Amino acid sequence: MLTLKQLFLGLFLPAVVSGGVLIFARSLSSKQDATNTGESETGSSDWLIAVALSAGYIVGYLGLEGLPSFPPRLGAHWLCYLAVIGLIVGGLWNFSFWGRIITQVALAVIIPRLLLAPTFRHTWGQLEGIIWWVCLAAAIFIFWNLVQQSFTILPSGVSSSFVYFGLSGGTALILALSGALRLAQHGGVLVALFAASWGIALISGQRSDRNRHLFPSSASPVVALLLSGIWMNGYFFEEVPTASAILLLIALLFVHVGRIEAIQKLGARRSALVQIAAIALPVLIAIGVAIARSGLFGDSSGY
Amino acid sequence: MKIHSGHNLQIPYAAGLVLALLIIGFTGNIQLADAADTYEIDTAHSMILFRAKHMGITYNYGRFNEFTGKITMDEDVSKSMVEFEVKTASVDTANEKRDQHLRSSDFFSAKQFPVITFKSTKVSMKEGEEDVLEVTGDLELLGVKKSITVDVEITGKGKARGGESLIGFESVFTIKRSEFGMTYGAGAVSDDIRLTVSIEAKGE
Repeated sequence: MLTLKQLFLGLFLPAVVSGGVLIFARSLSSKQDATNTGESETGSSDWLIAVALSAGYIVGYLGLEGLPSFPPRLGAHWLCYLAVIGLIVGGLWNFSFWGRIITQVALAVIIPRLLLAPTFRHTWGQLEGIIWWVCLAAAIFIFWNLVQQSFTILPSGVSSSFVYFGLSGGTALILALSGALRLAQHGGVLVALFAASWGIALISGQRSDRNRHLFPSSASPVVALLLSGIWMNGYFFEEVPTASAILLLIALLFVHVGRIEAIQKLGARRSALVQIAAIALPVLIAIGVAIARSGLFGDSSGY
Repeated sequence: MKIHSGHNLQIPYAAGLVLALLIIGFTGNIQLADAADTYEIDTAHSMILFRAKHMGITYNYGRFNEFTGKITMDEDVSKSMVEFEVKTASVDTANEKRDQHLRSSDFFSAKQFPVITFKSTKVSMKEGEEDVLEVTGDLELLGVKKSITVDVEITGKGKARGGESLIGFESVFTIKRSEFGMTYGAGAVSDDIRLTVSIEAKGE
């Protein structure tokens, strides 16, 4: 059961901070569009979207955990640093294509090694560790690119906010069902951030082309690194079922159904609904697996 | 002359002295081996219990089922040593779901910190009390190392049926879990955790 303090610090405050920065970013973007010819897709307000998500998460993190230790003692302590890294990378995102690729590869390789240091030390042998490391680096790189693609394939800011709201909500629920209540609260912070962006996207209207995509690709480092970090913590340090972890990881693959011609012919609204349903299906199955494994309907209870 | 004869006498005298020193040294070694006895913890007859208060109402008890340790008892108590290693995943409160929660990073983070360790840094007899030791050492929990001092009662000494020497200890002490970074569920689970360590150790 969440206390009022946890609800305020872990949900309300991050949503307010993130929402505030998002509103500022959108008003700035409107002013830029009014003064510019409108040909440039990447304005200076783009980075503010990454700032909105990162700052919102950091506020939630500090509210739940306090200042993280350095060097991080627990895997969850890395999450705050991942938000900061995501923010910095987001700021440098549009400078160079190759710089971006190299940064993505480097972070995909370094982050699992750092975050999972205890597993490398205590659980895996040398060969097993290397195999896991390669697979995780590849998975993070692919997932990051999926996040990037989803921002443009999903037809509107409303639908992309809703998809990430659902993905974060599924993550939080699965973690809670797996007995990792504290980590679930980190998923809850993401839920609050995407709920705020969803609300803003709904209110500001998504029909005009200018507002079509709420999240620029420079916001992908924050989203990809935070979700990867929470999932790695959940799977390797908690008791998240393997099937649930895999289903969460692959859910975003289904965003590509939006590229199928037959789906596109359905029209914007129906096409968006099909995409959301296709992504929601593996998330719902993942939740179902976690419920089945949790013994939720048994008579024992945790603290 | 006198000197010469004296010199003659000195040879057997020196040899005797060397022999005497060797004997003293040899018996001294035996004495040293007796003075520092090493014991291994017999987990079948030992217990590590903890007690936490739930919602400020009731005491809940739990135990760790897997641990190892070594105790070195020296006649010079200050040279005695205690070492413990407790497997966090073996936490057992007779409720599987609560145990799963206790193993998670909300509490013991068993996958990140598979063991809790204790290593003594100072052992002394407690003043004014017979058979009570004052043991100071580093307790490492969740990667946080803190020095603690606990009273340890020597509960008995004797021989096992097989002839091995046995020694028993008990210590009851309280730690604050928040000092080790275990802050989850502050309202539901007390910060003060009382530990009862009851050990039977067998001479090697």
